[in-house]
Amino acid sequence: MRRVLVEPMLSCPALRLQRIFLLMASKPQRLHQWSTLQSSAKRARAMATEAESSLKDAFGKYADYLNNLNDKRERVVKASRDITMSSKKVIFQVHRMSKYNKEEVLEKAEKDLAAVTNQYVSRLVKELQGSDFWKLRRAYSPGVQEYVEAATLCKFCKTGTLLNLDEMNATLFPLSDPSQEPLQINVLDYLLGLADLTGELMRLAIGRISDGELEYAEKICKFVREIHRKLTLVVPLMDDSDDMKKKMDTMLQSVMKIENTCYSVHVRGSEYIPTLGSRDRFSLMGVPDIEL
Amino acid sequence: MASSDPPAPQLEKQFEGFRVHLEESGSLRDRIRTVAMEIESATRLMHSSLLLVHQSRPLPEVLDKAKAQIGEIKDHYSRLAKILSECPGQYYRYHGDWRSETQTVVSLLAFMHWLEIGNLLMHDEAEEKLGLNNSEFGLDIEDYLIGVCFMSNELPRYVVNQVTAGDYDCPRKVRKFLTDLNASFRMLNLRNDFLRKKFDSLKYDLRKVEEVYYDVKIRGLTSSGDSKEDQVSQGQQ
Repeated sequence: MRRVLVEPMLSCPALRLQRIFLLMASKPQRLHQWSTLQSSAKRARAMATEAESSLKDAFGKYADYLNNLNDKRERVVKASRDITMSSKKVIFQVHRMSKYNKEEVLEKAEKDLAAVTNQYVSRLVKELQGSDFWKLRRAYSPGVQEYVEAATLCKFCKTGTLLNLDEMNATLFPLSDPSQEPLQINVLDYLLGLADLTGELMRLAIGRISDGELEYAEKICKFVREIHRKLTLVVPLMDDSDDMKKKMDTMLQSVMKIENTCYSVHVRGSEYIPTLGSRDRFSLMGVPDIEL
Repeated sequence: MASSDPPAPQLEKQFEGFRVHLEESGSLRDRIRTVAMEIESATRLMHSSLLLVHQSRPLPEVLDKAKAQIGEIKDHYSRLAKILSECPGQYYRYHGDWRSETQTVVSLLAFMHWLEIGNLLMHDEAEEKLGLNNSEFGLDIEDYLIGVCFMSNELPRYVVNQVTAGDYDCPRKVRKFLTDLNASFRMLNLRNDFLRKKFDSLKYDLRKVEEVYYDVKIRGLTSSGDSKEDQVSQGQQ
């Protein structure tokens, strides 16, 4: 795919001309001195313009290459930003969940997520045109991470399990033109997205506790703990792990926050269990570390 | 809390797969880095041979010595291409591991090419010299352009030393070359990135060369190359 630019350059006639010029120029200078002054000057001038125009031709090609690449990158960044924004909306929709409207809220979230896939992710796929997945990764990685976060959050709320990378990628297959290499989310972006997921799950767990759904919060706690444990094993192996290491620290904070909250409720639960579930905000009293 | 539940096998399987995948790509990267280091050390040898041009050693001798490394560097690149052929489509995943080495190689090749022939080494010629013209593994255009900028950084020093050694025609040639090169780079729409920064440095190289050219011309040193002894002392004041 990358060769596309290079091949036409090899067959460029101006470069061939230049090759001929190279051969001439590398001959000993003295040969030219024997010819008449006028004709050699003329030839020198002709050769100089030839070299100049071949330089111009070559840089014209480099300019085309850079222009195309930069335009493509811009479009990909835009597509990525749209994915981020719409995925965030899905996440907020999930957080609107309460004890009583779960099904309805999640249904809407899933519908929104499908819209993100069909509208925005498919545009990213179109812009990438089946190539430069790694070259332009930085341009679309933030959007993909956010999308992973939204998709895995929806899936967890619905089934209590982790949406696998393979499953996610299977949903992306139909978006690609069959003649092109399909866009597949790479392991790195998936893991970075997962790391962010734990932050959202922390919020969700706190929300569930204040809603009195202790069991739900404990389920989240176990899940997040397990993800954190799994990630400790693979994070040091990741390509540029600095970014991820920071996320790991934040993740541990999130895990501990859920754990501490669960602990508080567990230890002091007897004091306010009767009020739990009454949607009474006072039920939060005595539970430290509750902050969003 | 029932945290003693066995973890979901699905989860287990996926992360085990990730670990294997990442370990494989890690060892691939190690192999790439090894080759990149060998490229770097061969390049360093080439560079040190090439530095002799500043000491006015005869050009053919300097070039022959520097060229002796090209074969080895070419071998390293074919090894690199072979490693990368194990993971098609992931050239740019590992690109950073040989980028700066390659830029240096390009700059030296371009400098040698200019010394020998007097014009710019084109992208496809650079690929040819590295034996990459027929392989899937190619020379990235931006790396090539950055390498060219690195070469221009070398030229002011070359001009100064050439003039000191009595070659008064050199500033004119270099000035012409850099002016054309500068004009060519102006055709590119650059982003605010490393290449842009390097291109910015090119104009300072040009200015420095213009100053030397001015010094030489205003003292009338350019017209004749005969009485060199006098001119050297004049040029050094």
